[in-house]
Amino acid sequence: MPTSLTLAVVPTVSPRLLQRQSSDRISLRRISLSVVATATEAESGKMESRRSTASLYEVLRVEKDASTMEIKSAYRSLAKIYHPDTVVKRLPEYDNGREFIEIRNAYEALSDPSARAMYDLSLMAAHGGRNSRFARPLGMNLSSEFYTTGRWETDQCW
Amino acid sequence: MAEQAYTVASDSETTGEEKSSTFPEIAIGVDIGTSQCSVAVWNGSQVELLKNTRNQKMMRSYVTFKEDTPSGGVSSQLFHEHDLLSGATIFNMKRLIGRVDTDPVIHASKNLPFLVQTLDIGVRPFIAALVNNMWRSTTPEEVLAIFLVELRAMAEAQLKRPIRNIVLTVPVSFSRFQLTRIERTCAMAGLHVLRLMPEPTAVALLYGQHQQQASHENTGSGCEKIALIFNMGAGYCDVAVTATAGGVSQIKALAGYTIGGEDLLQNMMCYLLPDSQSLFKNHGVKEIKSMGLLRVATQDAIHQLSSQTNVQVDVDLGDGLKICKVVDREEFEEVNKNLFEKCESLIIQCLQDAKVEVEDVNDVIIVGGCSFIPKVKNLVTNIFKGKEPYKGMNPLEAAVCGAAVEGAVASGINDPFGYLDLLTIQATPLAIGIRANGNNFIPLIPRNTTMPARKDVVFTTIHDNQTEALILVYEGEGKKVEENHMLGYFKITGIPRAPKGVPEINVCMDIDAANVLRVLAGVVMPGCRQPAIPVMEVRMPTVDDGHGWCAEALNRTYGASLNLVTLQKKA
Repeated sequence: MPTSLTLAVVPTVSPRLLQRQSSDRISLRRISLSVVATATEAESGKMESRRSTASLYEVLRVEKDASTMEIKSAYRSLAKIYHPDTVVKRLPEYDNGREFIEIRNAYEALSDPSARAMYDLSLMAAHGGRNSRFARPLGMNLSSEFYTTGRWETDQCW
Repeated sequence: MAEQAYTVASDSETTGEEKSSTFPEIAIGVDIGTSQCSVAVWNGSQVELLKNTRNQKMMRSYVTFKEDTPSGGVSSQLFHEHDLLSGATIFNMKRLIGRVDTDPVIHASKNLPFLVQTLDIGVRPFIAALVNNMWRSTTPEEVLAIFLVELRAMAEAQLKRPIRNIVLTVPVSFSRFQLTRIERTCAMAGLHVLRLMPEPTAVALLYGQHQQQASHENTGSGCEKIALIFNMGAGYCDVAVTATAGGVSQIKALAGYTIGGEDLLQNMMCYLLPDSQSLFKNHGVKEIKSMGLLRVATQDAIHQLSSQTNVQVDVDLGDGLKICKVVDREEFEEVNKNLFEKCESLIIQCLQDAKVEVEDVNDVIIVGGCSFIPKVKNLVTNIFKGKEPYKGMNPLEAAVCGAAVEGAVASGINDPFGYLDLLTIQATPLAIGIRANGNNFIPLIPRNTTMPARKDVVFTTIHDNQTEALILVYEGEGKKVEENHMLGYFKITGIPRAPKGVPEINVCMDIDAANVLRVLAGVVMPGCRQPAIPVMEVRMPTVDDGHGWCAEALNRTYGASLNLVTLQKKA
């Protein structure tokens, strides 16, 4: 399992940016073809770099200069596809809302102007050197890789 | 009788093959109010409210214990005044469920015309109905379950199919502990809760559907609309701010409190008979009758004050106790001044939490039984500078209709016309966190976080070579843990020996779309990639009654020896 897949952001700015989970990237990309056609950067062929550092813009499938309205409507149309309430209809492999949480986190960050500005700065910094990393609690990796919750047969007994 | 209806229903189900294949079981929407309840179902193109054999859509929420067979408000003949006066009828279950006997709401319930006894030590109250001059003990769960069984039989007889899945509306202010009680109650009645929906969010979904239909009719007006939903019933007051566009309703904020028509009623009863509390303390047969009479008379008076400016209260409570008084609307409003102020503050708090200005709100929706009270309507419209409330929703049916729509959406039924191209994105009404840094409550999932949600925070040990740590999970808004509800606790053992502050204890909270909370905890030593011990996963809440006691007992036994602090990351 690759170790430095996840995107690093200064945690003091907005801890919710840290929720990136890159292991789901492939499935997200597969499904994204059926979604809004705004994801034009998807065919840029940089499959490897996309997997390792999928940006919040890529999660929402919008351009880097997308307006607030565009971000909002992208979030809504993605929510309709990935929210667990609707996802059961379309996707047999139910992911317990993981994709949706990711989309939500991206939306929260990009819809807040100051958080978005900080994020854009961090993107530029990351662009310079691939290994430029920010301080990041170790446990974050733990959460994405080891904390898999499922539904249990006994859930009804509560 | 109910049994028979059930058998017939399942017979026809097996013959109607093609019907069951195109329609997966649609969950029905159920709104159990403190005072009234209703059931609705999506029929493929619209919501249909189910009626009982007496052609009622709204059924009183109560159960009367007679001899051996309890009967609820769905099937039994009428809400005889006599039933209410005999002590055999239990109601207000929704106010009593999942509360301990130190709760002020339980104390306020002690002058209901049945037995609510408290020991004031933080255990569940003793509740009993008077049957043949004997107190028959029961629980709010049992009473609700009896009621739900009746509702279920009614729905099965009408829909001619077995019912298992339901979407139930609940008050915003319900703790997770209360929610599990509700789920357990449903399980007792053989029902599976597909979703528990805070009442105003069910209304929000219905609003979303209205908007969606409107935008279909005049294409192009798919812009975002912000609505404030104010829902005040007999037991609870709830507020929500929702942003709706393209059939997606994002709940931006929720606020709720245990105030409703019941409190207005109790205040009025106190006003009409100031020493009622002490008069009724003994709960004798006579007192129960007087209590019931006063209750019925006061309730009637309040209802009449909605349409007229004053009312004559004339009631003989027996034993020479008579009330003969003209009450006008101003008096009623003055007596309940504090309650109305609380309602206002809930709305203002909800707007602030949603970061929405009064001017940004496109629609103000007022629903619930109390929406008929002029003062309630006024206080809401005053906040919105006289804006006319949203029309086109039945104030008593909006929540159950929303629940029925959610039932259809969440059941994933075939929807060729796109009526159900809807989504409500829920938010958590209360913060959830753990005890750390002494007695402080450290929220991991703040209030109004979008669900499903998953957040984590890293903690560390406070002693050198500390090998164990207690994770105490709380829900609420208080800064100190004592002010919040304890949801559960567990111990992490086997932390590798290290100086204090070195082990990284990662606590993660996960709420899925069905609102199930799981708390996970793992230990990582700096420099290691793998967790040092197996990660623990605990579904919450785990504590039963007397959760206040658990915290005290843990504190007494372990002191600060197993405490944690938040880990300050070195730069």
